[in-house]
Amino acid sequence: MNNYLLLLFNLINLIFIPLLLMGVIRKVKALMQNRIGSPILQPFYDLAKFLRKSETISQTASWVFLWNPLIGLGVAVIAVLLVPWAGPLLPPSWAPATNFLLIIYLLSLGKFFAMLSAMDTGSAFGGIGASREATISMLAEPALIIGLGALALGNGSTDLLTIFSNPSNPFIAGLVGAALVILALAELSRIPVDDPTTHLELTMVHEAMILENSGPNLALTEYAVALRSCLFFGLAMQTLMHIAPGFYQLELFPRYIISLAGLLGLGALVAVAEGVMVKLKWRSVPNFLAFGTVLSLLAALIAVWPK
Amino acid sequence: MNFSLIEILAAGSATLAVLMCGITSLKAQLQALACQTALFAGICVLVGIQQHAEHFLILALVIFLLKAIGIPLFLGWSSQRMGIQRDTGVTLNPGITLMMGFGALLAGYFLTPQFAVQSAGNPICAGISLALLFIGMLLMITRRLAISQVVGFLVMENGIFLYGLTQTHGMPHLVEMAAIFEVLIAVLIAGLVIFRINRSFEHIDVSKMRTLRH
Repeated sequence: MNNYLLLLFNLINLIFIPLLLMGVIRKVKALMQNRIGSPILQPFYDLAKFLRKSETISQTASWVFLWNPLIGLGVAVIAVLLVPWAGPLLPPSWAPATNFLLIIYLLSLGKFFAMLSAMDTGSAFGGIGASREATISMLAEPALIIGLGALALGNGSTDLLTIFSNPSNPFIAGLVGAALVILALAELSRIPVDDPTTHLELTMVHEAMILENSGPNLALTEYAVALRSCLFFGLAMQTLMHIAPGFYQLELFPRYIISLAGLLGLGALVAVAEGVMVKLKWRSVPNFLAFGTVLSLLAALIAVWPK
Repeated sequence: MNFSLIEILAAGSATLAVLMCGITSLKAQLQALACQTALFAGICVLVGIQQHAEHFLILALVIFLLKAIGIPLFLGWSSQRMGIQRDTGVTLNPGITLMMGFGALLAGYFLTPQFAVQSAGNPICAGISLALLFIGMLLMITRRLAISQVVGFLVMENGIFLYGLTQTHGMPHLVEMAAIFEVLIAVLIAGLVIFRINRSFEHIDVSKMRTLRH
């Protein structure tokens, strides 16, 4: 019964945690740059502001542009509900629904519509952004599948719920966790792959895609991005936690609290990294992602290495 | 799935070696080399505990002091004096070199049955030491700066050392020590030669040394 209460608690938290994560990242980044920065709750205010504003829609836009935020948000919500990013909260009978390939394809579906809608508005920047996003996700996806596949090999199940309920080999967990952090930076368009705060036409990726969105449309898109950040950082955190063998033996509630703290901590760490790193040249992005791919491949090789 | 501590340390050193293929900053590469060699010192201690031979502990100490701290510091100091920070591959970009490094590890994995000594009972380390040989060779082939080729040579040497450590029942003490000092002298001489090359040609780019005529 306790588990269901926790699940309900998590559902309510789903509204706050993603935006809080964005707020923490922004605040830490501002502190790294010797600025006071906006308050931690600023993403909430932004969301409320965008929802009140009216919307401007390009004349060439079709239903794809209008429906994209809803599709993106719907897919992100389903993925966040299924993935055990804050510990295995779902009852074990739900395990088949948490197949990692399903999750990856769900996220790709959302991204596919995001790219379509970016090109739908007829803006030149939308096309650039969509092309770059497609390149990045094409490079990141194999690494994601191989990395999570290595964890699945170690646990004998492709269901994320089963993977994160059981102990993993700490070495494999460390490699996959490091790979997931690198891939999360790429998939979420963060430094060093893309600078989420820039509006320089030559370099932006994610911002170029949502340049034409405004009002409620933009609010839903931003919230979907926050949910996806939560999912990716949460997955990386859960994997990294498996380095400590005692972690999976804990009760669900302390595990949940540690996971949330770890999630925000990882967000702060990413913000610190963004403070000290510079954005890579677009040509060097594949080299950066190659590190993620190789870490995943190494984990897979160690998982299949016979005894 | 349950690896022994020696195997985990060896796998960690293989991971570092593969990542070294993609690192272009010389400082980061020397740090990776130092970490890798320190892992070998750890393996040496574990082998010593396993075989109840305390001369392995002395060997581990010598490895740690000379190879994990001394040589990277020396190479870092000399690269600093020559003002070199970054090395890019000649023909391959770092991403592809990384994949080739993983391919070398894969080759080691498939050659494990041919090269592992059955009585030693540690086939994983045999595969990893072969992979380190290949990766060292890859580093020596793809790097442009003479100093990175010394790094590749040291990775190769580490592979040979791991093979000797885990596949035999303990090499004679004297042989191991002699090998370490030989490597030390080789690196010192290489460092001096690189200094000379730098002074005569004002660069240490081996790809521009096809014609050594004056």
